[in-house]
Amino acid sequence: MAEHAISFEKLNKYYGDHHALRDVTLDVDHGETLVICGPSGSGKSTLIRCVNGLEAYADGALSVLGHSVGDDERELEAVRKRVGMVFQSFNLFPHLTVLENCVLPQVRGIKRSRTEATQIAMGQLGRVRVAEHAHKFPDQISGGQKQRVALARSLSLDPDIMLFDEPTSALDPEMISEVLDVMQELTRGNMTIICVTHEMGFARAVADKVILMVDGAIVEQGDPEQMFTVPKHPITQDFMKAVAS
Amino acid sequence: MVAETLPPPIAQSGIGHWFKKHFFSTWLDGVLSLIFLALIIWVVSAVWTWGLRHAIWTVENREACGHGSGACWAVIQDRHRLILFGLYPYEEHWRSTLACLAVIATMVLSCVPLFWTVWRLPILWLVGFGTFVLLMRGGFAGMPLVTTEQWGGLSLTIFIFSAVFVLGTPLAVILAFARRSSLPVIAKTTGLFIDIFRSLPLLTILFAAAVVVPLVLPDWLQGDKLGRVIIGFALFFAAYQAEIIRAGLQSIPDGQVEAAVSLNMPFWSQVVDIQLPQAFRNTLPSTINQAVITFKETSIVTIIGFFEVMASGNAVVGTGEWGQQYVEVYLFLAFIYFVFVFGLSRYGAWLETRMRVGHG
Ligand SMILES: Nc1ncnc2c1ncn2[C@@H]1O[C@H](COP(=O)(O)OP(=O)(O)OP(=O)(O)O)[C@@H](O)[C@H]1O
Ligand SMILES: [Mg+2]
Repeated sequence: MAEHAISFEKLNKYYGDHHALRDVTLDVDHGETLVICGPSGSGKSTLIRCVNGLEAYADGALSVLGHSVGDDERELEAVRKRVGMVFQSFNLFPHLTVLENCVLPQVRGIKRSRTEATQIAMGQLGRVRVAEHAHKFPDQISGGQKQRVALARSLSLDPDIMLFDEPTSALDPEMISEVLDVMQELTRGNMTIICVTHEMGFARAVADKVILMVDGAIVEQGDPEQMFTVPKHPITQDFMKAVAS
Repeated sequence: MVAETLPPPIAQSGIGHWFKKHFFSTWLDGVLSLIFLALIIWVVSAVWTWGLRHAIWTVENREACGHGSGACWAVIQDRHRLILFGLYPYEEHWRSTLACLAVIATMVLSCVPLFWTVWRLPILWLVGFGTFVLLMRGGFAGMPLVTTEQWGGLSLTIFIFSAVFVLGTPLAVILAFARRSSLPVIAKTTGLFIDIFRSLPLLTILFAAAVVVPLVLPDWLQGDKLGRVIIGFALFFAAYQAEIIRAGLQSIPDGQVEAAVSLNMPFWSQVVDIQLPQAFRNTLPSTINQAVITFKETSIVTIIGFFEVMASGNAVVGTGEWGQQYVEVYLFLAFIYFVFVFGLSRYGAWLETRMRVGHG
């Protein structure tokens, strides 16, 4: 098994003239929960989307569970098999029921039988407490429920790594905690997790490591206590003050 | 100021009240309602008298045609076979009927969601259209050979329409994806192809398929004239339908494909399970519209020598024998078109309600 679950080495990425990632070097250990914070446009989404190849990077190296993420389609597929992702806007398939949303990727992607896939899907839907909505369509459930379904959909594929890109930013305040609760349960297992979030209370409770990104670069990283109470970098101090107020 | 206590409103209900509210609420409303009522009664009674009460129904009474004040439906009784089957040999009409039913059954079954899988639909179409062609052509099992020049009437119309739709739709899907390709060569070529086929009049394309292609292609590649015309028609249809599908694909948020990719769904599944159903749902009204236009446009094939239902109707009127009864014949043709087009739009409306459940 590879030493680190994920390791970025001097990763750079450009959108035209815009330098979106600057020499990002970062290791995430197996079972670790990493929280990424930073102001809007700092490259958090870009970084997390590189992990499962949704974005290509320009130079540097990125390895996930021993596979190098790059142009090689087979390596990319091997990575995507082990990495799940939850988006800010849920991205449930609107024309499929909640259950079918969770079953279809199993049947198509890892060739599970429909019976087995249904069983696993129902198990995961129960785990995130939306099993009673299994036969509804996405537009018939609330935002918090949608995001939990999206989580169950990813978990049905037994990933080793989960990526969360601002999973609660599109939710009404009263629904945020129901999603954070199931995520918190997830962090207690041996899942490796990267989460972009502005929920500082949550970050403090679950993170093993916190990084702050500004303008495409990591300006400070450390354990949550240190980052939230005695940040070293002046930018971090300002940011923590801003999100605390 | 003390508010005045009003008496409770009198409960008003019943048909009388409903009529009063909707048709006679003001003086002007009342007059207009009466005028339109009189107009409706007059039209209905005139149609009734002409079309049913004074109508002549059977060929035995045909001498009365043209003298009385009624329609002469005897022409339909006498010539319905010509309208329905065109020049198809009389003794073999049963084959044309069966073939036609096979294609109609195929189209109806294609409308049932149960058949909407990657395998079921092509197999259904292959069986349905295979049955049609084998029955119509014959030349085996004691059925005399009937070449496509003799096919005609309503069966030909239905066959051309369904074949164009069934060939054109997958082609349109391919063109739509090709036009969105990230390879500029493919995207540009497809765009050019679509623009050319859309800018040519259908008549030109059908003429080229019927007359020009045989001059250019070697014998063994030419196939049948009807086949060529259907392919030309299908290309024309596909060029329009491709743009409709492309619009449907564009309206799907990027997140849908990103989710499918990160769930490791294979490319074909992203297309068939995620993109196409949503694109199709988003463009249902325009697709039904395109189908209706195509059904009506089938009558153009008359000009290149095919005897479809419209041409058959003209032939009935063209004979001196029934030359006076053109109103009846065209009404009958209009009725046939109406049944099909109305069926299509009702089906579209049904699909739309069905698909509204689960809109994201
Ligand atoms: N597809 C793209 N094309 C061009 N520029 C892009 C693209 N995606 C992102 N960018 C730019 O790259 C920068 C980083 O974007 P990114 O989405 O990673 O930021 P973020 O930290 O996730 O911000 P937010 O908190 O708003 O989600 C931004 O300046 C953004 O404008
Ligand atoms: Mg972002």
